[in-house]
Parts: sequence; C-alpha cells; structure tokens
Amino acid sequence: MTQKSWMYSVLEAVQWEMQNDPKMIWIFELTPPVASTPGRPVINLETEFGRKRVVNTGIDENWMASCCLGASLAGSPSATYIPYQGALMPFQVIQNVAGKLRHMTGGRASMPVTWIIEMTGQTPGFAGQHSCYEEDSYYAHIPGVRTVVPSTPFDAKGMMHASLRSPDPVVFLYPAGLRTLVEDVPDEPYEVSLEKAAVRMEGSDLTIVSSGAGMPEVVKAAETLRDEGMGVEVVDLRVLKEMDTDTLVNSVAKTKRLLTVDQSYFTLCPGAEVIARVATNVDGAKYKRVAFPDAPPPASPEMFLWMRPDADKIAGAARGLV
Amino acid sequence: MDNTTGFSVEPPEAADAPSSESRRGFLKFAALTGAVVSMTANRALADGDIAFHAQDLSDEQLVDLFRTILKIRWHERTQADEMLSNPDYRGYNHFYAGQEAVASGVCATLRNSGPFDQIDVVYSSHRPSGHAIAKGVDIPRMCAENDFRATGLNGGYAAEMHLSDPDVGFIGADGMIGPSMPIATGSAFAFRARGSDQVSVVFGGDGTYATPHFHSALNNAKILDLPFIYVLENNLYHQYAHYTYSSPHKDIASAAAAYGIPSRVVDGQDVIQVYNAAKEAVDRARSGGGPSFIEAKTYRYYNHWGAPGAKAGELGAFGYDPLAITSFRPDREVRAWMQRDPVDIARRTLIEWGALDAAGAEAVEADVKAEIAAAFAWAAEQPLCTPEDGLEHVFTQGTVPARQFG
Repeated sequence: MTQKSWMYSVLEAVQWEMQNDPKMIWIFELTPPVASTPGRPVINLETEFGRKRVVNTGIDENWMASCCLGASLAGSPSATYIPYQGALMPFQVIQNVAGKLRHMTGGRASMPVTWIIEMTGQTPGFAGQHSCYEEDSYYAHIPGVRTVVPSTPFDAKGMMHASLRSPDPVVFLYPAGLRTLVEDVPDEPYEVSLEKAAVRMEGSDLTIVSSGAGMPEVVKAAETLRDEGMGVEVVDLRVLKEMDTDTLVNSVAKTKRLLTVDQSYFTLCPGAEVIARVATNVDGAKYKRVAFPDAPPPASPEMFLWMRPDADKIAGAARGLV
Repeated sequence: MDNTTGFSVEPPEAADAPSSESRRGFLKFAALTGAVVSMTANRALADGDIAFHAQDLSDEQLVDLFRTILKIRWHERTQADEMLSNPDYRGYNHFYAGQEAVASGVCATLRNSGPFDQIDVVYSSHRPSGHAIAKGVDIPRMCAENDFRATGLNGGYAAEMHLSDPDVGFIGADGMIGPSMPIATGSAFAFRARGSDQVSVVFGGDGTYATPHFHSALNNAKILDLPFIYVLENNLYHQYAHYTYSSPHKDIASAAAAYGIPSRVVDGQDVIQVYNAAKEAVDRARSGGGPSFIEAKTYRYYNHWGAPGAKAGELGAFGYDPLAITSFRPDREVRAWMQRDPVDIARRTLIEWGALDAAGAEAVEADVKAEIAAAFAWAAEQPLCTPEDGLEHVFTQGTVPARQFG
C-alpha cells in the first residue's frame, strides 16, 4: 500500500496488464505514459514496452481511437490517452462504430478497448475550448459503450483493471482536476465494478449525487452540512453508463430529498438522468440540480469562479432543500 | 496547453528521455544553417526561384517590417518578465519569440485595414500573439485581454489562446490543433463564391501535419482553387514532441506538393525570404491562381507553454522543462537557433540595404519598447470582469440562467 495519484494508479494497472498480456497496446500523443510517486518506481510504458507496442503519434485523436478499436477487434486489448484538446474528436468512431458494433453484429464483435479521455476546465484562466467538462454528458448518451468516471485513485486503478479485461468498449473519463488527489492504493492488481455507484457518506436527510471532478467539492460541502447537524448521504456515481439506478433509488427512498451536482452544462447533465430515474421510482421527493450554466466557461477568473459549482454553492442549495 | 500536461507527482529522471537520431540530425542542420548565414547576410538571395519582391518595398515599408518584428519580440519579452517577476500578473502565453519573422513577413503582404468585406483574413492556432500583432490588433487591448480584463480585446472571455479581432481581419486563434485549417478554407470559399479578391491565410505548426484537417484543407483548397494560404511554421516541436514523431517528411511542404499545391520551404528566421514567398502566394490567390503552401523553418525561444526555464530580463528558456517529462529540447539546439535571430537578421539586412542606419535601428527599438511598456501599463489599470457577465454572449441577445446555485 502506497500513496498514489489518480494517474499513477491507472498506469500501474495498465503496466500490470501489459506485462501479463504481450498482445496489449497503448497509443498516446503529447502526454507521455509516465508517472511517478514517492517510494515507487517511475512508470514509463514507452521505455518498458518499446515503440512497437507503445506509440507516440501525431495529433490525430480520430486515428488513436480508431487504431485502438481495430486492435481490440483483432484480439489485442488496447488503450489510449486522449488529452482534452481532442476529447470529442474520437466521438464518431466511439458513437457510430464501437457503440453499435456488438449489437449490429448480433453479438459477434468483441472490443477490449479503453479510451482514457481527459476532462479539463477547472482551472481559472483557461477558457472556452480549453474546457471540456461537458463531455461526460455526450459519452454517457451512447449505448453499447461503458462510460465511467472514477473520482479516487483507488477506484481509478480497480476500474482500469476491470476496463482492460472487459470485452465491452469503455470510455474512461479522467477529470484533470483530480490530478493532485493522493490516497493509499494497493500495489497488487484488483478490480472495481464497472456497474456500481459508491455511497461515500451515509445520512437520512438529503442525498447528494455527483461524480468525477464534482466529488471533492461535494464531500467538502457534505462535511460542512454534517457539522451543522444535517444527515447527508453522498453518492458517487462512478459509472455513467450503465447507471446504477438501485443505489440512487434506495438512497432517495430513505432521504426523500435529492440534490445533484455536475460540473457539466445544466442541460442533459448526468444529474438530469439521475433525477429522472429517481422521480419515476420514488414518490414525494424534492429535487434540486446544481450544474455549470449553459455557457462556455470564460477565461476571466471572476466570471469563471462565480459560474463553477463549488462547496459553498452546493451547501447553499442543500440548505434550501432541507 | 494548461498545466495539467503530464502525470508525474515529481519530474522523472532526465535519463528517461528517449534520444532520437533524427533530432541529432536536426542539430547538425541547425548548426550548418547557422554557419551559412554567418557568411552570407541574406539567405533569401540564395533562393533564385522566388522573385525578389522585397526589393520593391520602400524604406518606410522595410522599417515597418522591422518594427512589427520588434513589437512582437518586446511583447513576448515584456510578458515573460511580468510572468516571472510580478506576482500580481495573471496572464500567460504560448510564446512566439523566435518566430517573429514569419508572422511579420506574411502579414506585410496582406490587406489589414479597410472595410471588412475587403480585408484579408488570418486564422491562427497556437502562439497567436505574434500573428495578432502582425495583423494589426490593438496591442494595449490584447495585453488587457491576456490579463483577463473587462476592457480587453474580447472582454476577458478569451485570453491568449482565443484572441479575436475581426475588425483587422484577425478572425482569431483556435486553441485546438487542426480545426482552423478547414475553417480558413471556408472563408476562402466565400471569397471565391462572391467574386472578391480577398485571401484567407492560416498559420499552423508542424503538429498540424498529422491532423485529418491538414489533408482535408489542402485537398479541398486545391480541388476548388481557393484563395487560401497555409503557412506552416515548423518550429520542430508540437508541444514537447519532435515533429519526426508525427511526420515522415523532412520538409512538410513536400506533403502539400503532393496535393498539387505550389509549395515553398523558406528560412523562417529571415523576414525578407518569408515576405517574398508570401507575396508570391498572395498574388497567386488574388489573381485566381488557387492555394499555396509555405513551410517556414523556424524555432521558438521559450518552451511550449509559459516561461519555465526563463529568467526575467533575459531572452529564451533553457534547461529542463518540468512540463516536458520525457522529451525536452537540448540547450545547444536553442542556442544554435538563437544565433540566427530574426531581429538581428532583419536589422542587418535593412542596414546593408541602407533603409536605416544602426542609430536609426536603435531608435526604432527604443520606440517599440516604450510602446509595449505603455501597453502593459494601460492593461494593468483596466477593470476586472463582472462575474455575472459570464452568462452573456451565449447568443446574440440576452443571458442564460445561472444554474450553479441549484
């Protein structure tokens, strides 16, 4: 057990899978598959596995995503890291090919492919095109592709092992805002389910549901509310597709109040789906939805920080609900 | 891009960096060109294929070329100094220093003022501050924008990577790699469709070669004979990777030639040579001759993003860039290219041609430094943005609702 970051944990899982399956490949552009953490060896997939299996390509995310899909169709588990500049460039191949292929072939296609897709936009000063926290909504909409967004280093490692071993294609969202998060993560391989949400805090007055980059501020708000005497239950979705309806319904059946929190744009954000699923299964509950407004994030820190959901705004919304 | 690049909690050992034969080859190339230029003042003269259009420029126009180069240079240096020494300064940049002759030489051949339906348009991708200045963007307002001020060029919404000023034909910086190229061909398509002699120019780096957009833009520009000029600034690195990771061509221009497009490789450090090639391309586009491609061999003096490795008051960035992780530029390569400085080459050429003397060149530089210092001083006085304004400008009119409070 060592303190590890989100990305160190992910690359540790990838490294183990590559060591144990010589067929597996990794494609990257710009961002080398290198991670280090105090007390553990530096991971460098490129030098460890060589440029036949690990390739630094030009800026062509469509090719990166397609190459990995093709490798998986030929029986090589594959993974790629799409940095945020190109987060939606691979959309077509994921949406119109990978998402439909298993169904379209009557179940014959097998696709052990994982696209790690970065989300950024939590840093004041980086405007418009350099923000893409809304991509969770786009990818979660696609049938046939598992879309996950681990919010802790522990989950990231376990879900990466599960993704690489899954014959289903997986969009593995990486909220870059979590890059400084560090926690104890086992050195040996383990799996975390690609189908289950996690209850991070238990309570009976209010359920707060969030995911990915929303989680640190939600946990902060929940701790404040708990200190004020509110019984807050916090659910981390972890999986956007297929969404774990049971955990959501069970929680709100108890609390009768649901607050969803997303860094994604308001319209069709994951919270909208959460509320719809709960509302059709729980009678007499109250709802609120916190999200980024339907506007591109501006560069100015004054504008951006006011628009971004944070612990104070989340706590304020919660107080209005209870 | 932003400071999220890379995964490391601590920088790995430099020994992890892959060494590349081709990069060593390039060092030799850089050293060789440096030697050639130290013997002959004007490499442009060596390229007999391109008409020597710059000869036709008046002394005043030549001095303007030099002044534009200096404006860019001192903007970059002043901003780097602000970033390094002023803790209250919040702006950042993908610095263009080292590449000034490219934007200056190209934009000097374009129509940069007048009615919007007559001026030429420029699209930029990365390192837009140089392209913006060369196209004639108001420098104080650009400085204010880069520091997120309400009275900035784009009201504090854009910042450096998304600068835009349609009034001077600077349609803007696209912070992504690729999309601006096909979009620029769209402007060229409109010019042809409405019978205008306007020209559409896109600046892109060596990193654009690998994108599907590069090939789509060139193919369609050729098929449709569009008044489109692709200026590829090959500064050897896309972010932190040498361009040989993404292109099999030593000269990317040879890929453009395969699309049937007239293509030139020019010394991007020599504004005269850039001007000559750009003038040829603009004349071709205006007269209905279709697209052109110019590959300018150039180099950036700073690292990909921000000012790591730079010192206040000194030009350039050296040493290990912690953002680069496995791929970084050898100091020797940076210093070899700095021997062929676009400011020095332009100054020497103008003095040799008698357009101005050494004292005159010094006076121009002093003027420019004062102008840039005043621009930064003005920008620092400008008001910060109003938070609620973030809900404006989503559509032409009105605001979108706040959603962050539930």
